[in-house]
Amino acid sequence: MRILVIEDEKKVANFIKKGLEEEHYAVDNAYDGETGLYMAEVNDYDLIVLDLMIPKIDGLEVLKRIRGNRNNVPILVLTARDTVGDIVRGLDAGCDDYLTKPFEFLEFLARIRALLRRERIDKEPILKIADLTLSLVTHKVMRGGKEIELTGKEYSLLEYFMRNPGKVLTRTMISEHVWDYHFDSMTNVVDVYVNYVRRKIDKGFEPKLIHTIRGVGYILSADKSA
Amino acid sequence: MHLRSLRFKLTLWYVLILGILLTSFSGFLYFTLSKSLHRDVDNKLRSLAELIASESSSPLSKFSFGTIDQALETSMNLKPIGKFIQVLDESGNIGRKSDNLKNVQLPISLNALKNASKGLITFETNRTIGNTPLRIMTFPVVENSHVTKIVQIASSLEGVEDALNKLFLILIISVPSTLILASLGGQFLAHKALKPVDNITQTARMITSQNLNQRIHPPKVKDEISRLIETFNEMISRLDQSFRQMKQFSSDASHELKTPLTILKGEVEVMLRKERTSKEYEQTLRSNLEEINRMSQIVEDLLNLSKADTGEIRLNKEDVNLTEILNEVVVQMERLAKTKKLHLSATNHHQDIHIFGDALRLRELFINLIENGIKYTEEGGSIHIILQKEYPPPVTGQPDWVEREKGQFVKIIVSDTGIGIAKEDQERIFNRFFRVDKARSREQGGSGLGLSICKWIVEAHQGEIGVESELAKGSSFIVRLPLSPPELNH
Repeated sequence: MRILVIEDEKKVANFIKKGLEEEHYAVDNAYDGETGLYMAEVNDYDLIVLDLMIPKIDGLEVLKRIRGNRNNVPILVLTARDTVGDIVRGLDAGCDDYLTKPFEFLEFLARIRALLRRERIDKEPILKIADLTLSLVTHKVMRGGKEIELTGKEYSLLEYFMRNPGKVLTRTMISEHVWDYHFDSMTNVVDVYVNYVRRKIDKGFEPKLIHTIRGVGYILSADKSA
Repeated sequence: MHLRSLRFKLTLWYVLILGILLTSFSGFLYFTLSKSLHRDVDNKLRSLAELIASESSSPLSKFSFGTIDQALETSMNLKPIGKFIQVLDESGNIGRKSDNLKNVQLPISLNALKNASKGLITFETNRTIGNTPLRIMTFPVVENSHVTKIVQIASSLEGVEDALNKLFLILIISVPSTLILASLGGQFLAHKALKPVDNITQTARMITSQNLNQRIHPPKVKDEISRLIETFNEMISRLDQSFRQMKQFSSDASHELKTPLTILKGEVEVMLRKERTSKEYEQTLRSNLEEINRMSQIVEDLLNLSKADTGEIRLNKEDVNLTEILNEVVVQMERLAKTKKLHLSATNHHQDIHIFGDALRLRELFINLIENGIKYTEEGGSIHIILQKEYPPPVTGQPDWVEREKGQFVKIIVSDTGIGIAKEDQERIFNRFFRVDKARSREQGGSGLGLSICKWIVEAHQGEIGVESELAKGSSFIVRLPLSPPELNH
């Protein structure tokens, strides 16, 4: 899951990035409204964390413009001003949730999970396909009653697959949602990681879940014919 | 009506004053009328007595025949009604008397007899005979310096008493009733006059810190009350403004403190989520320390400013050499300027400029202004400081030397080639926590209070501070401080 953090205060942006990355999210930082807006338009983010008081383009304006582009990405607003007026303006301009500074990091993570869950029809915090389960809270992955150890990147990749079961995912889509913008898409890193994951979840289990669609990408499906 | 209300007091005073006036007027009226009526009776008695005396002593008169009534009628064609007359000889034996006395004698007091023997007239009021008082006049008739006869004439005072009693009755009824009516009228007037005051009270009572935008409706007529309302409204406006400033200030202050708090809390929470290397811990602690220092700086600056506001900070004023201080500060700041590759220079046109001030605070002023310039100037720019004396423009019609010494200022200009300040922000930059560009200022450090502190220092020295600036070209901060101690009044 790739998250854009638009926050001008470098230290705040840094600890948010660090904390989120440790939860296996891919995080991009933007330090002003203009850059933030540009990055939100160019990349396909799964969630945006937006501070309201940012230079160049004000946070509320950024919010309005993102929504004006018919972009429905979940947006979590951070604000130091906690008057009802500010919160109402933020919600009315199209944000999905808000947190006032200073905030609890655990609550911040929980709200991000909740916002990402809204995209799904079932609201369970556990993703499931065949006998493979992935807990979004504890990051535990199980198949056939056995726990599977994954590295951070492998977990992120599997989470992305499991959020989009039965859909063909191209290498570009995968790189955009699992890696941040420092990722060099010219390499075969995606294929390498897909193979790591495949080895861990499919080896010794039936049915096979990750399938290669030649020339396009990959698909996660319990159905062999797919 | 409340006994302590202004309406009651006004009415009370009004009635009291009117009561005193009416009572004294009535007393005066009663007294003068009584005096004049009594004098009238006395005069009549006296003229009759003189007439009788002259008739009775005249040898040609027919006065000595018959009763007194007959004698008066025959000799003078007089018929005195209601007058009692009696004539006594020199030793006080009663001789003739008028018919209406019948068998009663007019009393004669010892005092009257004594006076009569000396040839003096006596007037007396006697209340012993009948119901009505009698006015008795004892008139000695003197012939060849001998009292030959005593004429006594008396008149009833019934008419006089009646008239006076009637007047008394009228006054005793009319004065209190006038006062009662006046008190009702007074209450009405006071009520009418004070009604706007009640309205003001009610509106004022409704105004709290929550709805300071409310105003009292001014009446159409311009009178004392409308002036009071105007004054009230102006006061509410001022309160409103200072409340708004206070709100803005506390919101700014809390925001300024919330940012370091967010960083501290977030960094520590992220760190504690799992085991880290000691290098990571050290990095976090260093960053935390930075934020803690920043917060201490903000809190200290705030405390100083609030102390300055309440007048708790006393300036330690003495004769200071401004040129020397400036040169020292410039040397000190050169190091900071060099890290940003800025050119820092100073010119002063006079050798040494002395002013009466607090050396420590003036140094702080220069440091703040130069630091500010360094912060907002891009690499390779320059900061220039000018120190010069300034003479006030000569007043026309006055010789050049008048007032020249007194009005002298020292002018300090700190100009940079930095990013400049937009016109609309120029007035606000001296406000506490005001930042033109929030992100940039925090990166440069500082509490957002530097220029507020400058403004306070300058004003504490009876000077003024201002800014001239153009975006992307640079800013000049201009400080003017009075050169001589202004008449030692502080």
